[in-house]
Formats: sequence, C-alpha cells, structure tokens
Amino acid sequence: MLTDLTALGAILLIAGITFTSRLAGAFLMSRIETSPKVTAFLDALSISVVAALVASIVAQNGPREAGAVIVAALVVLASQSPVWAMVAGMVCAAAWTFVTGT
Amino acid sequence: MRGARRGAGRLFPIAIFTLPFGVAFGVAASEAGLTSLQAITMSFLVFSGAAQFAALDFWQAPIAFGSLAMVIFALNARHVIMGAALSPWINQLPIGQRVLALSYLSDPNFADSQPTFQNGEKDAGVLLGGGLILWTFWVAGTAVGAMGGRAIGDTAAFGIDVVMPCFFVAAVVGKMKGRKTFVPVIAASIVSVVLLGLVPTGWNVVLGALAGGLTGVLFRAD
Repeated sequence: MLTDLTALGAILLIAGITFTSRLAGAFLMSRIETSPKVTAFLDALSISVVAALVASIVAQNGPREAGAVIVAALVVLASQSPVWAMVAGMVCAAAWTFVTGT
Repeated sequence: MRGARRGAGRLFPIAIFTLPFGVAFGVAASEAGLTSLQAITMSFLVFSGAAQFAALDFWQAPIAFGSLAMVIFALNARHVIMGAALSPWINQLPIGQRVLALSYLSDPNFADSQPTFQNGEKDAGVLLGGGLILWTFWVAGTAVGAMGGRAIGDTAAFGIDVVMPCFFVAAVVGKMKGRKTFVPVIAASIVSVVLLGLVPTGWNVVLGALAGGLTGVLFRAD
C-alpha cells in the first residue's frame, strides 16, 4: 500500500509527463522553419504514427485481432465509413470469440 | 466553440467504446490498491490508457519514481510526434488556445482531426471537442469500474477490445493516396513490428513513425 501523499505524488508525476508530451511536439516545431522538406516529413509522419500503432497492436495480439483489423480496412475501402469499419471489425472479433471460445 | 461541438459529435461513436476500457481500468486500479478517488483522479488528470495501466505495475511501496517516469514517457512519446504533425495548424493559434487544444490530444482525436485539418478545417476546436468527449467517457468508465461495476469490464466480450485498432486502420486507409502515403505506411509498420521486444514498449511506435516520416522526405514528389 502507498501512503496517500505518495499516491498523489505518483499521479501528479504521470499527469505532468503526459501533459508535457502532449505540448512538446507543437512547441518543438515552432522553433523549426517550415520548408517543403519539413512539410513532407510531417505529412508522412502523421499517417506513419497511426500505422505504426496499428502494426504494433496487431503484432502483440493474435489472429483474432489481425482478422478484425483486415476486415475493418476492407470495409473502409468499400464504404469510406470508419464507423462501419469499426462495427465490422467488432463483429468479426466477437464471431471469432463465439466460434473458437478464445 | 462550434468546432468543439463538431469534433465531439464526430468522435461520439468511438467515445462510447472508451467507457468499457475506463471500467476495465477502474477495476484494475482497485485491484492494484488504488482508492476509487485515486483511480478517478488519475483518469481525470492523465487521460492516457497505456500510461495509466502501466502505472499500476508500479503501485507498491516504495514506488520506483524514476522507472515510472521513464516508462510513462516512453508510452507517451508518440504524443510528441502527433503534436509535431498537428503543428502547422495548432501553431497558428494564440498560446492559450494552443495549450487548451493539445491538452486532450490522444490517438483517436489525432487520427480524426489531422486529416480534417488537411482537408481545410480551420477550427482547432475539433481536436479539443473530440478529446473532451473521449475524456468524459474515460473518466465516467473509471468511476464505474473503481466503484465496483466489474460486470461490464470485460472488453473482449462482443469484440469491444478491437474497436481502437479498427478505428486507427480506418484512419490510415482513409488517408492512403498513392506512393506518397503507401511507402511511409509500410516503412512505419515494418520498423514498429521489428523493434517490438527490442526496444521498450512505446519506442517502437515512435521509431516506426520517424522512419515513415523520413521515407516521406526521400520519396517526396517535388
């Protein structure tokens, strides 16, 4: 068990680091002059960070999650709707759990 | 302000699903020894699922503040990347609004807002509004979980646990336009997966994103 003060300290530490991380990127960029290179970098960065996140989540899980993500990707291609993609992915994962019990 | 309402509306369908994740966190937090008030305070102030779940592993006396800080930073380092990617729009704002808009930055409202800004949205409120609606459900879910609502805390039932990756992949596919985006996506995914297990969790995503960004510079059209 932690004392109340230690617990509060830990919560404030986590909150402080998280808040700083949210502000840091934009503030760092305000010190860099924009050029076509920088714009191309930020452009690619914005899609890359989400792609890297998905790849990391899929790699840490099994075929159930991979299947759901693939179905979601196909549905968004067909429908252009992220909400339908989500629903399709969920149905796919729920069906997997129902059939295999895992 | 109208932008905030629009952002909240756009992310409402996603935000509903953060409720069970919040419940799961509340349950895990009370199992780790946090009081309900502490768990709710943490969700209220931190608003980061990955960081908060990781923090629970440190919840014993004496708390290892140094390692805790490093783990939290690693898990949140992708915020720095997202903030940089949003800077062309965010940095046009006065400083107070800049801080406010970024305060609720998280993966889903980044994935939603960045393409919206790119398509000509001028109101940075969409980022804030999306963040606020996610945050509301996250805090509410935590409260339910911490105060004993464990029955609905199983995110694997009904496939709720795959909502976030499915939403993110939809955001990536929605932004894919030819080689300019295809190469960064492939590079980022490969680097992120290869480094998984080689570098502390969180850094693989950051390094993957940076690799993708660099290919964007190398393969740029002009």
